Amino acid sequence: MIAHALFFYFFSVIAIVSAIFVIVSRNTVHAVFFLILDFISIACLFIMIGAEFLGMMMLIVYVGAVAVLFLFVVMLMNVTEQKSSWFRGTKKSNHIPTGLIVGSVILLELIVIVGGWKYRDTFSETKFLSFDKEFTNTHAIGNVMYTEYIHLFQISGIILLLAMIGAIVLTFRKREGVKTQSYFKQVSREREDSVELVDVEFDKGVKFDD
Amino acid sequence: MLAIKFLIPEIFLSISIFSLLMIGVFIKNSFEIIYRLSLFVIILIILIILSGDSESIKIFSESFTIDRFSLYSKILILISTFFVLLMSKKYIVDIKNNKFEYPIIILLSILGMFIMVSSNDLILFYMGLELQSLALYILASIDRDNIKSSEAGVKYFVLSALSSGLLLYGCSLIYGFTGSTNFEEIANSKDFNVGTIFGMVFILVGLAFKVSAVPFHMWTPDVYQGSPTSVTSFFSVVPKAAGIAIFIKFMYLPFRDVLNQWQYILVFMSIASMILGAVAAIGQTNIKRLMAYSSIGHIGYAIAGIAAGTENGFKSTLIYISIYIVMNIGAFACILLMKRDGKYVEEIEELSGVSKNHPMMSFGLLIILFSLAGIPPLAGFFAKFYIFMAVIESEMYTLAIIGLVTTVLSAFYYIRIIKIMYFDEPKKPFEKFVDYKIHGPIVLSCVLLVSFFIYPSILNEIVSNISIF
Repeated sequence: MIAHALFFYFFSVIAIVSAIFVIVSRNTVHAVFFLILDFISIACLFIMIGAEFLGMMMLIVYVGAVAVLFLFVVMLMNVTEQKSSWFRGTKKSNHIPTGLIVGSVILLELIVIVGGWKYRDTFSETKFLSFDKEFTNTHAIGNVMYTEYIHLFQISGIILLLAMIGAIVLTFRKREGVKTQSYFKQVSREREDSVELVDVEFDKGVKFDD
Repeated sequence: MLAIKFLIPEIFLSISIFSLLMIGVFIKNSFEIIYRLSLFVIILIILIILSGDSESIKIFSESFTIDRFSLYSKILILISTFFVLLMSKKYIVDIKNNKFEYPIIILLSILGMFIMVSSNDLILFYMGLELQSLALYILASIDRDNIKSSEAGVKYFVLSALSSGLLLYGCSLIYGFTGSTNFEEIANSKDFNVGTIFGMVFILVGLAFKVSAVPFHMWTPDVYQGSPTSVTSFFSVVPKAAGIAIFIKFMYLPFRDVLNQWQYILVFMSIASMILGAVAAIGQTNIKRLMAYSSIGHIGYAIAGIAAGTENGFKSTLIYISIYIVMNIGAFACILLMKRDGKYVEEIEELSGVSKNHPMMSFGLLIILFSLAGIPPLAGFFAKFYIFMAVIESEMYTLAIIGLVTTVLSAFYYIRIIKIMYFDEPKKPFEKFVDYKIHGPIVLSCVLLVSFFIYPSILNEIVSNISIF
């Protein structure tokens, strides 16, 4: 048990500290790396509570795809020149006190709630999710994903499709005057199209029409 | 397998979206075809819904409800989308935004709204909400070369994503404290403690943002002004109907037993929205911005009906939002007519003396503006009348009095436009064109608004059959 607690605190401290560093670090590349560290430690926490599927998904999706994408974007932008000007406020912002007040009020309210927190001892029965020790939770998710929650699964697909359409609508531009390769044209070119056999009469030369 | 037949509208809509997408990809310059086909699809879905039976049933492990309430909302959404799409065609072509994706994104957003108004489960509700708002972000910035449109898109995206986050946080709290994501089971879990209430407040914040109720209205004027007018007319009508429908559902289904907790929040939102809508619109010079503030005010009245907490309360809200849709479609059709020298103008000053050159258009706008101001015997008056009836029935006199006062206040800026149209110096006339797609909705809207008082109970009868429980 102690080892479990130790690992829990180890990963949580890393998660919290790196989350703070994501915000405060001035170098965007560092911020992204801290974000990745944050994701990894959260994935470890997921695995520790026995949700190995969520943990692995976290690694694959967030660390593997999203964070690397972030890194790409950050590296493509010209960060080194602008990083100092981005993060240095031009004038003193007067939003900070207001934000602090609102934030601390919400924090106090949350403390009130967490103080009165009582986990429900019986989560109302979800008919389809069995809390069977025999099943791994990948198996359990697989059981319901395509049966009881098929509509949610399909709708997520439509949301992704819409995201794709949106990205294309907002960024795709038809360029004029670009010479693109047409495989079909290249392959379907016949010998007759481009080779002309001319009988050249002696001492007359060749006369082309154009 | 039997359950599938209740899903036919949604399935048909999704399949037609995919087919339209394929047509658009493979046929060049296919805006015209896609546009017509999507209008046709909308009509077909209206027919499918009307021809189906309206028994109430819950499918997909009780996460998807089909009942009169959801069917009514869906038809409202479809009809308003139809007219918005119909009248915005000329505008879209004129600003060279005739991409074939435009109608498809609108169809996708109605698919999201369908899922949202039918949902009986927090997860499904959230997915529908995300589908519709993702479509709205894209629509807001669809005129991507216009810096204002891009700004509107980014602003809407950032703020709306924040509010979705808050909403999701509320959902997670509610799941943690009640142990279920199903609306019925949330309502049946008897111990509503402070955590659940806190979650409910977060959900209220998210919903209020989506319908742009004060104090979560900040995005509305900028987004309305920045987006292309065709998109603004969509924003001001269709998501409002869906948002109010899901608002009603949340308040009357999962949280019906904690009426005393949410009633004051809604009363506050309603009063604040009515006052802000009335006061802030006075100084506006841009007509789209003015319509944004006007819609904030109208949402205030709609929420007043929900805040009444009675059956009559939400029915009056449904009537209100239906009439609001009719008025706003007419108003935006008139705004779409404001074209001079090949450019669309948006300043209210441009309307000065328009009655000399365009008597019919200005008469139509006159009727619509009078109705928006709530002047009897137009439909806008009846809408407000039902709301105030419901509010007074539940003995919330302060709300009713403030509502009446703000009605008078807001009449000022509606009538100011009429004064500018009729009594100011005429300017150069707008471009004259007759397009039944724009004039049709104006005429229809005016006829409906004027003739509503002859037989007002027709809408009442439809709405009175609706129940959520």
